[in-house]
Amino acid sequence: MSLSKFDYYSPGTVEEASRLLLDIGEGAFLLAGGTDLLVKCNHGMVHPKAVVSLNKIKDLDTIRLDRKKGLTIGAGARLADVEENRDIKRYYPAVAYAASQTANTQIRNMGTVAGNLCNAAPSAENAPTLMAMNAKVVLVGKNGQRRLPLEDFFKGPGLTAIEPGEVLTAIFVPVPPAKSGTSYQHISARGRVDISAVCVGAMVVLNGNQCEEVRIVLGAVAPVPMRAKKAEKILEGQKAGQDLIEKAADQASRESKPITDVRASAAYRKSMVRVLTKRALNEALERARKAKG
Amino acid sequence: MKSFTIIGENVPRTDGEAKATGTAVYADDIKLPRMLHGALLRSPLPHARIKRINVKKAAALPGVKCVITGEDTPKIRYGNWRLFPATQDEYPLAVDKVRFIGDEVAAVAAVDKETAREALELMEVEYEELPAAFDVKAATKKGAPVLHEETPTNISVDRKIQYGDIEKGFRESDYVREDTFTVHAVSHAYLEPCSCVAQTDLDGRITLWTSTQTPYIVQCLLASTMGLRENDIRVIVPHVGGGFGGKMELRPWEFCAAFMARKTGRPVKFTLTREEELATGRRRHPMTLKSKVGFKKDGTLMAKDLEIMLDGGAYNAMGPTATFLCGNFGAMLYRYPNYRFIGKHIYTNKPPASAMRGFGAPQSLFAAESQMNIAAQDMGLDPIDLRIKNAQVTGDTIPDVATISSCGFIESLKEVAKMSNWKRKRKNMKAGKGVGVGCYSFISGGVFNWFNTQFPFSAAEVRAFDDGTVHLLTMATDIGQGSNTAVKMILAEELGLRMEDIRITSADTAMTPQADLGSWGSRVTLMNGNAVIDAARKIKEQIFGAVSAHRKLNVIYDFECKDGMVYPKGRPDKGMTFGEAVSLVQKANRGEPLVARGSYTPRGKGLVTPAFSFGAQVAEVDVDMETGQVTVEKMWTAHDCGTVINHMAVEGQLEGSIHMGLGYALSEQFVMEEGKTLNTTFLDYKMPNAMDMPPGASVCIETYEEEGPMGAKEAGEGLVSPTAPAIADAVFHATGYRCKDLPITPEKILNDLKKK
Repeated sequence: MSLSKFDYYSPGTVEEASRLLLDIGEGAFLLAGGTDLLVKCNHGMVHPKAVVSLNKIKDLDTIRLDRKKGLTIGAGARLADVEENRDIKRYYPAVAYAASQTANTQIRNMGTVAGNLCNAAPSAENAPTLMAMNAKVVLVGKNGQRRLPLEDFFKGPGLTAIEPGEVLTAIFVPVPPAKSGTSYQHISARGRVDISAVCVGAMVVLNGNQCEEVRIVLGAVAPVPMRAKKAEKILEGQKAGQDLIEKAADQASRESKPITDVRASAAYRKSMVRVLTKRALNEALERARKAKG
Repeated sequence: MKSFTIIGENVPRTDGEAKATGTAVYADDIKLPRMLHGALLRSPLPHARIKRINVKKAAALPGVKCVITGEDTPKIRYGNWRLFPATQDEYPLAVDKVRFIGDEVAAVAAVDKETAREALELMEVEYEELPAAFDVKAATKKGAPVLHEETPTNISVDRKIQYGDIEKGFRESDYVREDTFTVHAVSHAYLEPCSCVAQTDLDGRITLWTSTQTPYIVQCLLASTMGLRENDIRVIVPHVGGGFGGKMELRPWEFCAAFMARKTGRPVKFTLTREEELATGRRRHPMTLKSKVGFKKDGTLMAKDLEIMLDGGAYNAMGPTATFLCGNFGAMLYRYPNYRFIGKHIYTNKPPASAMRGFGAPQSLFAAESQMNIAAQDMGLDPIDLRIKNAQVTGDTIPDVATISSCGFIESLKEVAKMSNWKRKRKNMKAGKGVGVGCYSFISGGVFNWFNTQFPFSAAEVRAFDDGTVHLLTMATDIGQGSNTAVKMILAEELGLRMEDIRITSADTAMTPQADLGSWGSRVTLMNGNAVIDAARKIKEQIFGAVSAHRKLNVIYDFECKDGMVYPKGRPDKGMTFGEAVSLVQKANRGEPLVARGSYTPRGKGLVTPAFSFGAQVAEVDVDMETGQVTVEKMWTAHDCGTVINHMAVEGQLEGSIHMGLGYALSEQFVMEEGKTLNTTFLDYKMPNAMDMPPGASVCIETYEEEGPMGAKEAGEGLVSPTAPAIADAVFHATGYRCKDLPITPEKILNDLKKK
């Protein structure tokens, strides 16, 4: 299918991109990898008046690790870059893993982590882990830059807190606390390469053998990726044994609000939240125990 | 076993390079001067009367050149079963009624695709909605909505097969069980969506390039629906990206392209979208199969009573054949001394089901093979031993159907057990791990002449040239299965030539020998292969005579063609090149070209097929007991396809079959609500992809099929059947969940585990 006509811009700076968005107004779409935008155009779900490419903006695809502050993933960084980055694999293994589990090789070579977040699908593969790790998004608009916790970023299916004229330029993930571990777990109907029917991200911070902080984020079981806060509470301040993990997993399942759709029934999703939360907590704990104190 | 030069070798496909480099031309690649682009308006309702169609606004849109509805057409019904005109129940465009969501109502041709699609939005159709039936139960209950007035029961075809005395058979059985199985619809999911281009010449004759398996059928039915003579239509098949049974009928877009090309004098192209394909395209029949079997204590089969309801969708399509075949497949593999089959094909308000790889076998054999596994479990017998005890062998007859002229079934069972280490694995598996078995038998083309043609079933023409090359013309249609390569190999073997000495023209109804029913039912290698051999032998007869006369041989020798030479057997010194021999024949015939026609029509081979192939498959699975997800870890296959023509091609077919069987067993299904398909993209129509493919191992059990070309028979289509029952049995072995209702979803497994 061919696309209907639209204007195409390829600005050299974020500021220019932001100005273009404001000037054109409704009907202007940002293009990074295009793996979501072009599919939507082809299916007639959006009819862009203008497409503003981010791909000519210098250094937007930078991945930078500051061992003191944290990790910055530029908006232009491809999923494949994140999946294969040595620093991310070493210090943020669950972030690399979530990127590696997004779509297929061809799409990962084009698509970006930032785009995956901006598309704001409830099933967005990269959201749960990043949210569990307290990631923030960097938004640049006409009034300068602001940083927003990823937790406050999603507003509904396809909806985000991005204001008109704002460009998401980077994702910032703080340095993981000492003795912490993260995990990403997901499930789908087709086995190895598929969109998730349920996904879970978890981070556990240990103090001795007690859980000091626990963050559990569920994907594809609510309009936006959601924290399972009551489940987190069950573990916080406690020594995490199998019983308590099962209890937290049960609680996460109760907190989830899935619907039945073509990918899975609500009942199946609920029971998978329990299984995946348990697996995510176990893996995160395992990693936390092995982490340097 | 006979010895061959090229047959049985690994020969790369003749079209492989063109496809790998992207230079192969498919229907949608064709661009002609002044060509228009078509789009189809489809019914948004599952069942409705058309009260009024207003095309004015659409026709007035700048760029729109032609708009047609059923009212503009000759209103002639068509269907593949020409032998029984009452089964021909489709119009190219809806007349008075629509019967499923997606039924074609009108067509637009415009200067580009976007304009054509925009025009569809401007079409105004007033419908009177009618009650609809979405499954066989709803369609057969009292007071059910009637889809076709001529068929008030909604049962469009019924079929009975019976032999022996089933009552007596069950009375004499020690163990009898009855099960009901249900199987679902799946898509052919060929990579190339349907596409065609029609062009008209100054005399009004039509040339149609189309992605089809059956150019001759399209030619005939297009002629009849347009009120033209068959010779006024020329159908050319470009490269085709798969068919699997989904492209073997006349389709509305072929009619609309041709009809609008005549109306406008401009070429018209239609190419379907994937969404159209998944939402409205042909599919495999969902079926409800009630099966009762009886055994003696020692495992001897005594009787089988099989009743199948086919959910046909809104039209017959190839449903009548599927109805016949699922009953025939129900009687295959084992010796059922007493057998009864009752099959009913039922209309429902859904996209029509039709032929799809296996053609009734995947459904019938899922039931038969699953039930065999259940029975073995109940009787405390090993399922492979139980099969060997009852297996059909060479020479067995199936009353009224066929004599099995070659059969390597028992050998396949023994081989697959050995390869997979069956006995050990079946006894010692951990929870969540299992192995299971499934088997198949399949046909090598059909015998029953439902298309009602006076021509041979298959035909080929060979033209020989004095430069040592030949030109093979055949209506065998290469749809990606590799028939061009296979028939060239057969010809190369027969004439002692190399692949590069053969030019091939296939599937052009104005050029290639008339008739040939096309590529379906695994008929091409056997039937066209025989026709090619027939033509080649006629060529050889002439050149052998000429060479003999020229060399003044005073002894009657047998001749042979080998390595580009023609010579008396054992006397290569008396030979000459193939080209020189051709030149001799031409000189003796006043320069007439050396051409021969060959044909094949099965004789005395019963009603179903000239030859049967057999095989057995073992699946090993790992089931995640918490999520219910099944991973197929390995597939072992041993099968008898007679002489292997091309090993690479057979392996490719096997891998493709496993891929399709995997989707059928585990992940593919249409999610439908009130006749509407909700998953119309590959994101949500879960066809397995490369990463999901299990590793496999296979062995070809070589038999020699006397009826086949060089001993060959079907390879590849039948193999799609054993995969689902083998996986289902492995899942049972791993979890205790016995699937009688495909597909095997994680949810079904978990629900079953919860009950225990």
